[in-house]
Amino acid sequence: MIQKTVTVNNEHGLHARPAALIVRTATKFRSDFFIERDGVKVNGKSIMGVMMLAAENGAVLTLSAEGVDAEYLIEEIAAMIEGGFGT
Amino acid sequence: MRELTVKQLFEDKRKDFALSLVTEPQTINKKIVTPYFNRPGLALAGWLEVFTPERIQIFGEAEVRYLQSLKEQTMLERLREFFKMDIPCVIISKGLSLPPSVEYLANDFNIAIFSSRLSTVQLISQINRYLMDVFALEKTIHATLVDVFGLGILITGKSGIGKSECALDLISRGHSLVGDDMINMRNLNDKIIGRSGREFGHFMEIRGVGVVNVEKMFGIERVRHEKTIDMQIELMPWQENTEYERIGLKGNYVEHLGVKLPIIYLPISPGKNVSVIVEVAAMNQILKGVGYDAAEDFNRKIHEEIRKQTLFKKVQATEDDPKNGNSK
Repeated sequence: MIQKTVTVNNEHGLHARPAALIVRTATKFRSDFFIERDGVKVNGKSIMGVMMLAAENGAVLTLSAEGVDAEYLIEEIAAMIEGGFGT
Repeated sequence: MRELTVKQLFEDKRKDFALSLVTEPQTINKKIVTPYFNRPGLALAGWLEVFTPERIQIFGEAEVRYLQSLKEQTMLERLREFFKMDIPCVIISKGLSLPPSVEYLANDFNIAIFSSRLSTVQLISQINRYLMDVFALEKTIHATLVDVFGLGILITGKSGIGKSECALDLISRGHSLVGDDMINMRNLNDKIIGRSGREFGHFMEIRGVGVVNVEKMFGIERVRHEKTIDMQIELMPWQENTEYERIGLKGNYVEHLGVKLPIIYLPISPGKNVSVIVEVAAMNQILKGVGYDAAEDFNRKIHEEIRKQTLFKKVQATEDDPKNGNSK
């Protein structure tokens, strides 16, 4: 299992569009993917789950993935979140 | 676009427009090429510059009274100029009539004059409706059209994907069928009206069973002759690496005959109950129609939650800050 801690870096946090982007990216990989915040852990491939986190700017998330391409998945998603979704 | 002759108009609408032919029978062979009509008031007064001769010319009381006010010589002169423009036909409303010399002149120019007992307003609205219908843009496509909760839903997708089966399921759940396999679409006042491409009843082919007659099987209340198409649902095989709509914030649209319709790309896989999803899509569309967008609402709630968290964090940060006590 691979884990990484990231900080949400875009102004409005993980609202619908960024959440959709995360889920869309995650589903390209075969590994299982979870996002954890303050003890709440959701499936990173479920859009409702990711949105329900309501992660604001500055929130600290723990990403974890398990599977053949876990490393790449974490790398890509972490870059996306910390890069503020390209904004 | 269909072609229309004056003769066909007369045969189709003789009763509805309360028409009678004033001129000789051979005058009705002209073609009508546009779905518009014209009130030629100014043209009759002699100003022919922005005149549209290719349209059906309607004489109301104003035109007739004006012509009657002229000296016969002048009137015939003006009408001669008018008829020279090769107009398709003239319809006089309110059962009014012009002197016989006008009839002779029209016969000479081979232009039909009809008299209608309808009032000018009635005549114009009826003619407009008829011409719009005849000249409507149309096309026929491979699809199935159903009425779900009063919404016309066009189901498209490759042959064999299960359009008919989906429609059948919807019919047995109480919705109705407009047409299967071949749907004729027409643009009427920027609404797409769909009907079966075949005129001989509501038959359907169900793979493994054969042809069934929906009207006979489910009753007359489960079939419709035509329906405005409100949205399209495209059935497609589930593919691993394709992205499907997850939230619904950005709507997809498809264009038919110049009209934009919302479209849903619906991936199907074994065990998925497509007809229930179609029902849900229809209800969601109805809600959008009355101003409620679930995706927007949900996103707004998430935004609110995020804002609360941010505020909470700020408050905590200021409380924790030792310098805070000195500032106001």
